[in-house]
Amino acid sequence: MRLEDLPSRCFQGVLPGPLATCATDGTPNISYLSSVEPLDGERIALSCQFFNKTKQNVLENPYAVLEMYDPITFEAYRLELRYLHEERSGPLFDRMSLRIDAIASHVGMKGIFRLRSADVFEVLSVDRREGVLDGTDLPPLPPARDERPRNEVRGLQLVSQRISGAQDLDGLLRALFAALDEALGFTHGMAFVPDESGARLFVVATYGYPDDSVGAEVAVGEGLVGTVASERKILRMTRVEEELRYGRVIRAGIQRSSGRHELTPEIPLAGLADAQSHMAIPLVAGDRLLGVLAVESPESLAFEAWHEAFLEIVANQVAVTMDNVLLREREETESEPPPERPSIPSSTAAVKRFRYFVEEDCLFAGDEYLIRGVPARVLCHVLRVHTKTGRADFTNRELRLEPFLGLPSYRDNLESRLVLLRRRLEQKCPEVSLPSTGRGRFRIETECAVALEERA
Amino acid sequence: MPQERARLPDDLVDLIESGASQLIGTADADHRAEGVRAVGALVAADREHVTLFVPEATGARTRANIERGSLVAATFCRVRDLRTIQIKGRAPGTRPLSASERAASERYLAAFTEALYGIGISRGVTRRLRIWPAFALELEIASVYNQTPGPTAGERMPVG
Repeated sequence: MRLEDLPSRCFQGVLPGPLATCATDGTPNISYLSSVEPLDGERIALSCQFFNKTKQNVLENPYAVLEMYDPITFEAYRLELRYLHEERSGPLFDRMSLRIDAIASHVGMKGIFRLRSADVFEVLSVDRREGVLDGTDLPPLPPARDERPRNEVRGLQLVSQRISGAQDLDGLLRALFAALDEALGFTHGMAFVPDESGARLFVVATYGYPDDSVGAEVAVGEGLVGTVASERKILRMTRVEEELRYGRVIRAGIQRSSGRHELTPEIPLAGLADAQSHMAIPLVAGDRLLGVLAVESPESLAFEAWHEAFLEIVANQVAVTMDNVLLREREETESEPPPERPSIPSSTAAVKRFRYFVEEDCLFAGDEYLIRGVPARVLCHVLRVHTKTGRADFTNRELRLEPFLGLPSYRDNLESRLVLLRRRLEQKCPEVSLPSTGRGRFRIETECAVALEERA
Repeated sequence: MPQERARLPDDLVDLIESGASQLIGTADADHRAEGVRAVGALVAADREHVTLFVPEATGARTRANIERGSLVAATFCRVRDLRTIQIKGRAPGTRPLSASERAASERYLAAFTEALYGIGISRGVTRRLRIWPAFALELEIASVYNQTPGPTAGERMPVG
């Protein structure tokens, strides 16, 4: 049989396969592999994190035997290999390294636990192991997540159509996640965008999660999403918890053997507590990182290689559309003066009190924390003008010119900050909203009287 | 390999006789390696020997290698915490399993099934592993190495 005949799920590492090697003195060695990557019909690459006996053996005696398992059926495949060479840089190394870097970063071992080399082997033979299983039938598989046709081109067409009609960032992201669910059954997703400094990403939209995660932040370069942002490469992980467990075992080993207790703390996973599959992809336009799109699933084999290719195409279109939407909003709002519309009279039956803490740069709605940073200052400015003058209509342009907001003059991310602010208001303070009234314009609408208090 | 003997401490006996994932490595006369999954292990009272059970259906090469005198590597990985050791030594030959060893192999499959279930592998899938007919090999323990993932993987353990 050929390498291409192996089910692709054998390469997802759910059941790690053993690799047997032999030293020149005839002493065998057998150990588990963490990552196997098919390169073409004749070669595979194995990850090497530590210079160990396996590596020493194949440098002396290149012949090895690998067993791989189908995680659905436990069928076993025996591969005879011959070591060719190692790669310590280049596309293959980068691809294999990304996953390890993300795990290392997530468990607080960035730069400590890393890929040493991608070891390339020629596949001399592939055989299905006869007699591994007792011949009984498989237990019934769980029902398929959905029966929708998974034709990649039709799926792409649907997603493309939905997002191409988006008028603003919020609409774009809502349409995207709904279309990914409809076309592919992706039930949980998040979109992250960078802040003004480019050093952090914040969640601007979620799909399928409790809304509390909107506004959550991760540092670029840290954790799974942060690593995707810094490396600007797609990351697909199956059996996420197992991969992290592997990283945690190594972390514990490093702490024990070197007394290094100063390893940085583990970063909590955003999203599903029981996520088993994770895929994150950078949104890049030209040389600029516009954000990161992340999808998760509680199923361990939810995302396959073709999903990765699919999402890469979608991400390219999302990035271009996102860039255009943001640019258009900015250009149109700059060409138009602020509109003048009467404010909607607020009910005086109740008063919603907002408190802005200058030192902490954060805003509370009632006694509940609402938001901090630029979105807090935006709402503070709007409330200030609204409570003093009664004006309800605003433009993005005037926000950009407002010194209190402290926005940079170029690529200020204001639109994504407004999306975040709107989502936070929906969750925490539904009496106040900031609906769009046209491109680059919005309005404050309140169901009660509002009051603003500013504290040093 | 010098005729060394190592005695296993309690914690490693527990690891070996638990539902750990078990692998056996051997080599042929040309030093081509062979790997096979074992389906149970028992530590002898002297703690210097481990008897491993290998399904005949997948173990033909392994049996041939052992019978021509190959050294043996046996790896045990506890699925729950990835604690892993590798034992190296010699096995004088292979033999049929006794009735009690066959029962031990069946207990092993039950424990291994539960261990994999703990990481999300369906019990119905693992139970399909064929464990019978099988042969036994008695490994004389010469050395034990730590293989738990991490910087000390590969270090010889001070046992004996």
